[in-house]
Amino acid sequence: MTTDEPRPDADAAPDLADALAIIAAQRARADDTRPVGALLFGVWGAAWLVGYGALWLTARDDGDASLLAVGVAITAGVVALVVTITHVLHRTRGIAGASAREGALYGLAWPVAFLAQSMIVGGLSQAGASGEVISLAANAIAALVVGLLYIAGGLLWRATSMYVLGAWMALTGAAAALTGFPDSYLVMAVAGGGGMLVGALVVTVRSRG
Amino acid sequence: MAEVELDPVIHAQARLRVVATLASLGAHDRIAFPRLQKLLDMTAGNLSTHLRRLEEADYVLITKTHEGRTPATYVELTLAGRLAFQTYTQSLRALLGGAS
Repeated sequence: MTTDEPRPDADAAPDLADALAIIAAQRARADDTRPVGALLFGVWGAAWLVGYGALWLTARDDGDASLLAVGVAITAGVVALVVTITHVLHRTRGIAGASAREGALYGLAWPVAFLAQSMIVGGLSQAGASGEVISLAANAIAALVVGLLYIAGGLLWRATSMYVLGAWMALTGAAAALTGFPDSYLVMAVAGGGGMLVGALVVTVRSRG
Repeated sequence: MAEVELDPVIHAQARLRVVATLASLGAHDRIAFPRLQKLLDMTAGNLSTHLRRLEEADYVLITKTHEGRTPATYVELTLAGRLAFQTYTQSLRALLGGAS
């Protein structure tokens, strides 16, 4: 006798209350096919906090971030990106059709938007913008891209938390630009990274409640 | 007593689990057979049997394709299946509500 054997009651009609419980249980099980928003918010929140935090810590004295801090920031971003891609592919494996197509197109919007961002920054540099202007613009435009894409994702997946976080990120980047260099890094780290970590916490608490 | 009939195709342990899982996916989403099997903890043979019954009722659509060289089978709930599941859950709630 193994557990592989078809259960004799598999064809039996369930009790009415059991039927509702079965539906609820399978609905919860199917959640496995969707990415966990709180995990992604948490990973990116940590990356922003560590990356921008390192930039601010080394730039606040002489205004120049150290090479080490730049390395830390890039590494944090790459790690968060790899975690995101791995997590999403793992959770959505075996799912095809409408939402897979929407997800792929949404995913593609990220490199497209960041390519545009880097071209704009390049254009500012060519036009003779100072290092400070370039840094402020690069940060604010990046935050705007993240913010608007989060807003789009929030609409696509009907996730209000993602929408709100997107609005927050866009405004954070703008506030950082107004703050000026190098404290803009602190704004990005604390309000941006911290904001996403708070978002991760709120989503986790609400999903358990 | 109001006569509320529960769809016999859905009102069976295993098939209810299959339909409830498929209904939790987005409309027009397909799921690969092995992934569905994992979400249900069913054997391949067992799942195939129940899918066949659901396919006969036009509640699921089974698509066989190739991914590279490997054959792949995808399962999705048809519109009729989605409606039948909605009617089933409504009837279930009505019956339970009437009982209390």
